[in-house]
Amino acid sequence: MANAAPLIAVRDLRVGFATEGGLVQAVDGVSFELVPGEVLAIVGESGSGKSVTAQTIIGLTRSPNARIEGSAQLGDAELIGASESELQGVRGERIGMVFQDPMTSFNPVYRVGAQIVEAIRAHRPATKEEAHEQAVALLDSVGIPDAARRIDDYPHQFSGGMRQRAMIAMALALEPEVLIADEPTTALDVTVQAQILTLLARLNRERGLATLLITHDLGVVAEVADRVLVMHEGRIVERGSLDEVFYAAKDPYTRRLLDAVVRIESAAPLRPPRSGAALLEVTDLVKHYPARRGLLRREAEPVRAVDGVSFSLRAGETLGLVGESGCGKSTLCRAALQLIEPSSGSVRFAGREIAGLSRREMRPLRREMQIVFQDPYASLNPRKRIGQIVGDPLELQGVASGDALREQVLELLGRVGLRPEHYDRFPHEFSGGQRQRIGIARALALRPKLIVADEPVSALDVSIRAQILDLLAELQGDFGLTYLFVAHDIGVVRHVSDRIAVMNKGRIVEEGPADQVCERPADPFTRKLLAAVPIPDPHEARARRAAAGPA
Amino acid sequence: MAPELHAEAGPAGSSPWRLAFRRLRRNRVALAFGGLLILIVLFVLAAPLWAKHVADTGPNETHTLEKIEVDGERREVVNVEGRPIGPVWLGAGGKYFLGADGRLGRDEMVRLMYGGRASLFIGFSAALIATLLATILALLAGYYRGWVDAVISRTLDVIWAFPVYLLGIALGIALALGGLKLGPLEIPSGSIWITVLIIGGIYVPYMARPLRGAVLSLREKEFVEAAVAQGAGPLRVMFRELLPNLASTIIVFFTLAVANAMLLEAGLSFLGVGVQPPDTSWGAMVGDGFDLLSSAPLLTILPGSLIFLTVLSVNVFGDGLRDALDPRSKVRLEAHAGLAEPEGTAV
Amino acid sequence: MGAFVLKRLGGMALVLLAVSVLTFLIFNVIPNSDPAVRMAGKNANPQLVANITEEWGFDDPLPQQYLTMMGKIFSGDVISYQGQEDVVSRIAEGIPATLSLCIGAALIWIFFGVLLGYLSAVRSGGLLDKALTILAVAGISIPVFWLAAILLNYLAYETELFPAQGYVELTEDPLDWAYHLVLPWVTVAVTLIGLYSRVLRSNMLDVMDEDYVRTARAKGLNESQVMRRHVMRNSLIGIITLFGLDFGALIGGGAILTEAIFNLNGVGQYAFESIENLDLPPIMAITLFGAFFVVLFNALVDIAYAYLDPRVKLGSATDG
Repeated sequence: MANAAPLIAVRDLRVGFATEGGLVQAVDGVSFELVPGEVLAIVGESGSGKSVTAQTIIGLTRSPNARIEGSAQLGDAELIGASESELQGVRGERIGMVFQDPMTSFNPVYRVGAQIVEAIRAHRPATKEEAHEQAVALLDSVGIPDAARRIDDYPHQFSGGMRQRAMIAMALALEPEVLIADEPTTALDVTVQAQILTLLARLNRERGLATLLITHDLGVVAEVADRVLVMHEGRIVERGSLDEVFYAAKDPYTRRLLDAVVRIESAAPLRPPRSGAALLEVTDLVKHYPARRGLLRREAEPVRAVDGVSFSLRAGETLGLVGESGCGKSTLCRAALQLIEPSSGSVRFAGREIAGLSRREMRPLRREMQIVFQDPYASLNPRKRIGQIVGDPLELQGVASGDALREQVLELLGRVGLRPEHYDRFPHEFSGGQRQRIGIARALALRPKLIVADEPVSALDVSIRAQILDLLAELQGDFGLTYLFVAHDIGVVRHVSDRIAVMNKGRIVEEGPADQVCERPADPFTRKLLAAVPIPDPHEARARRAAAGPA
Repeated sequence: MAPELHAEAGPAGSSPWRLAFRRLRRNRVALAFGGLLILIVLFVLAAPLWAKHVADTGPNETHTLEKIEVDGERREVVNVEGRPIGPVWLGAGGKYFLGADGRLGRDEMVRLMYGGRASLFIGFSAALIATLLATILALLAGYYRGWVDAVISRTLDVIWAFPVYLLGIALGIALALGGLKLGPLEIPSGSIWITVLIIGGIYVPYMARPLRGAVLSLREKEFVEAAVAQGAGPLRVMFRELLPNLASTIIVFFTLAVANAMLLEAGLSFLGVGVQPPDTSWGAMVGDGFDLLSSAPLLTILPGSLIFLTVLSVNVFGDGLRDALDPRSKVRLEAHAGLAEPEGTAV
Repeated sequence: MGAFVLKRLGGMALVLLAVSVLTFLIFNVIPNSDPAVRMAGKNANPQLVANITEEWGFDDPLPQQYLTMMGKIFSGDVISYQGQEDVVSRIAEGIPATLSLCIGAALIWIFFGVLLGYLSAVRSGGLLDKALTILAVAGISIPVFWLAAILLNYLAYETELFPAQGYVELTEDPLDWAYHLVLPWVTVAVTLIGLYSRVLRSNMLDVMDEDYVRTARAKGLNESQVMRRHVMRNSLIGIITLFGLDFGALIGGGAILTEAIFNLNGVGQYAFESIENLDLPPIMAITLFGAFFVVLFNALVDIAYAYLDPRVKLGSATDG
């Protein structure tokens, strides 16, 4: 494998973009080779230049603002600087590409089959019927059930995983030599991700492809890659075989990255189990949304977002709530906090029933419970200064005003690692990690007893995640907080929680101490979830695959 | 405790408004037309000065049978065939600078200036009323949703369903000629406010709909949830969280509304159901001059050109504002005949 | 799909009902004076006023008045007291001219609007784009009645390049028919060309940034295929729906001034004359006529949109 002639050879690739703020050098001298039959992973955080590198190879980054230099050869053909028609001959035919978000990567107004047929007929003299048949066979080969019927569906009628399979089928329709997969599983649930990765590995073997896999997730890399390139700020900082990079990394940035990856095995420092009264007690909580179907039939089956959930949270502990997208965990937190009204059930906070309270009655209680949001970009009002964002709760609840308010806000900012001069700045001036810190400061302002953290690190880069999790742990000790920690990544949850509750389809299917749930799961769904989580450790990943038997 | 954190590019503390202002400053074309607009406003503001000191006549004073001295010669303001005197320029010391306006012999320049006041006043006021109402309705409908939204949206739909022009005409006939009496509110017929209210009211649905859409999507943003989680009530959420984020859209809509309102007013006045005599507007003047199109085309061309130039300036400046405020604006006027569609223009 | 269409048509009926009530209110209830007197118009005399009051039921309670009014309009039993003629048949006579004007102008504005918008978008930022943008903005800033007057004066009266006024039946003489309509068509189209080119440009620029256009390129489609099948197809959805609404509004009374100025004797001109004479019955009938078209096209547009964008028609994802 290592001695075969390279399929793709990239030499000293440089890509710069002219922006309002000057020239941004996205790719700064990248060289590597891709040989047949291997899976080469390029891993890096956001802004590392990995996607730009991949897209530049087939000329998708060409634009008046882009300056592209260097070489990328496919066999003998030079791709950088090739004419558009030459590139069109290569795209799809010799190099297939799969993108991150299959929902937006398919044209919503055409049927899936039609889009695959289009790809085929762009390169082959097939009739519509012939191409259609090929398309059905392709969908079948990537594991789409009932392919002959589903081929006529529109993209929005497929689920996320199915869409990505269809996308892969389309990319491989013309049997290219190379497949470039740009963050192919990032937008998917963990269990679906596992399936797609297995599919990619299988296709790579069966068809003798060479796959260039772009990702930020080291677990994904450990599962499927043969060789790894680590990119940081436009350059390759580490390269080698999978084992070399994971176990014998030389570059400090790579080391930091590996350390920061939170692993399911790494247990949180043992904390004594909490005893005492429950701070939050949820009993049989239900939230249904009415669904309307048809012209006259007004009420159909309601959507059961939360379908009878009970749990309790003791003061000072961290309960991790984990589940896939759509399982109802976000709805559950909001219903518990009375941000949305529960359909039925009871929520007791510090012994007092709060379900169904009016806004006025709830108002003073709001000081006791706060929430940290997932999206660092949507959770801060872009028109307000940071000082105002963090100070608003204090002003709203009449806790402080004027200079006293300012002082308190400055103190909070300091606590979360920001500086006094940040007080007057606007959200757009901060990075994602910083914005999360601001969100945390805001949540702390009223000195609540309970903080619900709704996927607080999901939208952040790996190296920042650890910092934020550490911050949250520290604050818990200092402020005596109780956390309800929601995430879809069980590894993250394991690391911070005392107890874990697993949610599926609106119900809690398993609950218990963190170690127990992760090591001796009782429920089949929990087991499936745990089995699907990619382990950022190649040896263990291999061992797990071997134990599971042939896929 | 945490490692050094860098703030992103941009001078510290640049509010989105300041950034927008800077972007606008760089847009020469928009600024030029903004300047033109200011000149036009000054022009019409100077009306009383000109009338008193230069032309020595008001906009409604007729001089049918008079004669004036032009460069030493005595000429009739309106000749025996009914033909008005053409532009005299400075020949009579500024009187009849642009000529007389037809059989009634009124000073065209003076009428242009006074007419402009009406046109601009109506355009801006109607746009202002429409914008205010639309904003309030959009906030209410978008925030409360449910039956509040249903009621507001259905009502707006009915107004929307009316062809703009016919609605304007119908209301114009009904109210401009008969006056408005709505409970305690009473406006005599012929008042310029009738036209303002009609045009303002007509444009409310066109602005309210896209604004409501914007409110609906803003409402889902997490910073709004954060405010609610802190105990903020509806008013606070609407005015402290939603409104500031709508401001730039509202401003852009306002400029478009001014342009469309001016065009609608011009059309209605041309037809005779807008501004009523003795008041006049540029649109009405085009109407007046229309009968004399072949003999005195200037009487039609001048007021129409002024309408064109003013609306053009507002549009170009408004475009510049939009580019400055929201370079990648995703909140758009709906494909469903939003304000960009000059429904108010009679074609 | 069928259910959607039915629902939409049902909605349309409701809106028309509301519009008719609103028309009734505007004409008969809101104004401060005696409706019969207003209707009698210039030739009002006590006997006429009494007759009108009886015929239209102005002494009856309001809901009854409304029903009477609707009944008369829909059965074609409306007479203009000033013009002494049957309103509905006069409207019917004017329809060919109005349609000729609207359809012809529509073809012109769609063609040029799309063409110029397309050019602007693909050469976005360049000189052509800037020039076209200026033209477009100028186009939407012109008061249309003024443009009509200018064209009429300089291209018809003064230079006699085009016939000054009048409408020639299509069936009589197609060439002459078109010749008489050129100026009116241009007048109507100018503003809308400006608008449509800008809307299309904007839509296209948005669509060109979308992920699925990138996918199309990555599949190896050539530029023309990408433009036609992906960019244009998706950009035109918005244009088509906008067009439906504008066309409806145009037939529904947007062409009043152009018709009047060019003396085309269409429905719009009839409205214009009635307005000048304050002749109420025709104005009421034409208002309802216009509203009907607007509402009809609104509904058609919604249906077309559902057809063009499968997400609307078929609803959300099924699991699979």
